[in-house]
Amino acid sequence: MIDSVPTDSTPGSLAPAPADSLARDRPLVQVRDLKTHFPIKRGVFSKTVGYVKAVDGVSFDVQAGKTLGLVGESGCGKTTVGRTLLRLIPATSGSVHYRGSDFFAYNGQDLRRLRQKMQIIFQDPVSSLNPRMTIGNIIGEPLQVHGIAKGRAKQEMVASLLNRVGLDPAYAVRYPHEFSGGQRQRIGIARALSLSPDFIVCDEPVSALDVSIQSQILNLLDDLQKERSIAFLFIAHNLAVVEHFSDDVAVMYLGKIVEKAGSKELYSNPKHPYTMALLSAVPEPNPRPARHRIVLTGEVPSPSNPPTGCPFHPRCPLTRQAAKEGNAAESTEITTGGRRLRVLQKCVAEVPPLEQKQGEAGHVAACWVTK
Amino acid sequence: MPDPLLAIKDLNVAFDTERGQIRPVRDVSIDIYPGQIVALVGESGCGKSVTALSILRLIPQPPGKILSGSVSMEGRNLLELPEKEMRSVRGKDIAMIFQEPMTSLNPVYTIGDQITETVKLHQRVRNTEAVRIAEDALKDVGIADPRRRLNEYPHQMSGGMRQRVMIAMALSCQPKLLIADEPTTALDVTIQAQILELLRKLQREKGMSILLITHDLGVVAENADVVAVMYASRVVEFAGVEDLFDRPQHPYTEGLFRAVPKLGDLRSRLEQIPGTVPNPARFPGGCKFHPRCHRSRMLAQEARGEDAVEITSAGEKFRVLNRCVKEEPELREVEPAHWARCHQLPQYDRAPVTIPKLEHRREVNSQAVEEGDIEKIIKQEIHA
Repeated sequence: MIDSVPTDSTPGSLAPAPADSLARDRPLVQVRDLKTHFPIKRGVFSKTVGYVKAVDGVSFDVQAGKTLGLVGESGCGKTTVGRTLLRLIPATSGSVHYRGSDFFAYNGQDLRRLRQKMQIIFQDPVSSLNPRMTIGNIIGEPLQVHGIAKGRAKQEMVASLLNRVGLDPAYAVRYPHEFSGGQRQRIGIARALSLSPDFIVCDEPVSALDVSIQSQILNLLDDLQKERSIAFLFIAHNLAVVEHFSDDVAVMYLGKIVEKAGSKELYSNPKHPYTMALLSAVPEPNPRPARHRIVLTGEVPSPSNPPTGCPFHPRCPLTRQAAKEGNAAESTEITTGGRRLRVLQKCVAEVPPLEQKQGEAGHVAACWVTK
Repeated sequence: MPDPLLAIKDLNVAFDTERGQIRPVRDVSIDIYPGQIVALVGESGCGKSVTALSILRLIPQPPGKILSGSVSMEGRNLLELPEKEMRSVRGKDIAMIFQEPMTSLNPVYTIGDQITETVKLHQRVRNTEAVRIAEDALKDVGIADPRRRLNEYPHQMSGGMRQRVMIAMALSCQPKLLIADEPTTALDVTIQAQILELLRKLQREKGMSILLITHDLGVVAENADVVAVMYASRVVEFAGVEDLFDRPQHPYTEGLFRAVPKLGDLRSRLEQIPGTVPNPARFPGGCKFHPRCHRSRMLAQEARGEDAVEITSAGEKFRVLNRCVKEEPELREVEPAHWARCHQLPQYDRAPVTIPKLEHRREVNSQAVEEGDIEKIIKQEIHA
């Protein structure tokens, strides 16, 4: 392989352990009860009048060399999860452990060393590259900042990274505006790879790209994962892309994970009504659509004022169905989006726990109605 | 066959740039019949939006210029109408909605002001009547409490709600044709499903035609009657939706279908189209797709030496067929009611050059459910 990026000579004591033994021992990244609340300020004195609970108690594991997909609609908090766990946004509470050590407790030099191992690829390949830096400098800067290579050695590493992501090494002297969207995303990937990370947050890495380019980038990420055993947190709204790419999938709604399972299990046996609706809403590239489309009523509520109980209850077709069939004493009437609906009392009053459902072990969902 | 509502014939559009003239639309002919949904599919820069804007004569002139062609609607050539008459066509006969509703709504006027302005421009009605029409339009697109919403400003609404307002405004004068340019691209899937369902319902009820511009093959498959695939300013394939998905003829269409991950398609390698979407300032010679074409590459392996030629594309050297590099293919009717622009189709040399016209309607409409036993439906159908 034409790769000269050091993996074992990396400074510090964080030499990667063999992925196989590690996967059995403990997850690479462990997120527990992560919360990110943004204060809402009003008035002359910027008094805090409330909080937007962008991420509200999220827990998951990412195994070494594997991909966890995180799906949800805009505003559900999936991007904030990615950024909070890399400490690009301060967490309100909760913990992130990387190889068993508490990432939030690190400071200074140690933090910097740990950061080499945890990188991010952004959605927008235009705004995430500095227009005044050459490609060579964009990819080489992390190498210099972290004291891994400079001068000639740096140039050689940049050339080999460019080569690996499918770009001509001669492009190192060019500027970002000279490249197409797909090529810029390759540059972003080369930058993320430069420090030989073993965990990368991919935040909507292909949604800004043309269809014919998306598969090139997805295949590149796939190859890199196999070659270097990198773990991905793959954040996206496109369910077909996530299914294709992930080993496990977590579905987010209003700052919470509402369902999580192995990719195949989640897509073939969804338990949460929100997951069901999301799946049915994906347009199939088939001119004779066989399945019915579940059209959800209403929109995602504001995370500054989420509904009580189960956050999905105002839009949930299952609770309406259950209220219709069940005992009248157990249901209640609510008004949402100008419509009056009967739903289960329990869905309005109590937050459902994320618990094991019928299906594969580890298939959890937060729903009072489904089994 | 009835007359088409709108007939675009041999449209050619140019833009003057610092680096010389570019041609974003080349020889595009598309007919839209009453009540039909015609999809225009392609990637960024393929010319699909410029085609749509040219219908309404909304491309800035200069630097833009319509070089030739005609757009006929009910016996009139829209490209030759005086500007004053054209203004009454826009909004009244043909309305348009855009991808980003926020930039298409004026932030300093209420929703009500903006809809009633459109109504009063095209219909001779009093203010109170205009408000009533606006209220009905909002109700039609499924906005609850329309009277209150009329007094709100665009920033007070969510993206999906703003797109509904755009649609309400577009439909307030009951146009015969709606041009929808990526109407759901900026929206989430569940909201996208709502908006598409709404467009289909309004189209059925009002008998309106829709020109649906999109890059999403799923949206095309589930909504279009007829599809035109554009690549590098040209229509490269034109067919009824079932025909196109069952038997794609052009290697670009074929490649697109294979490159897109589908639900239920588990982790395996995606097929990819090599290279990048070409820049209109630097289109290759011959067939515009040849530097990315797997068909020409495959056939070149078996071809005699003088029939193939080596080219370099995206840093890779390979052989393709000489004819693809030298000669641009025409859009020919390679199968009955199926047009494609590729030399390497066995039928190409015998196929006639005809104007693509299809009064086809899709066989199956997708069905929406709001209530009922969705759990059972999911179980039965998602992975069936």
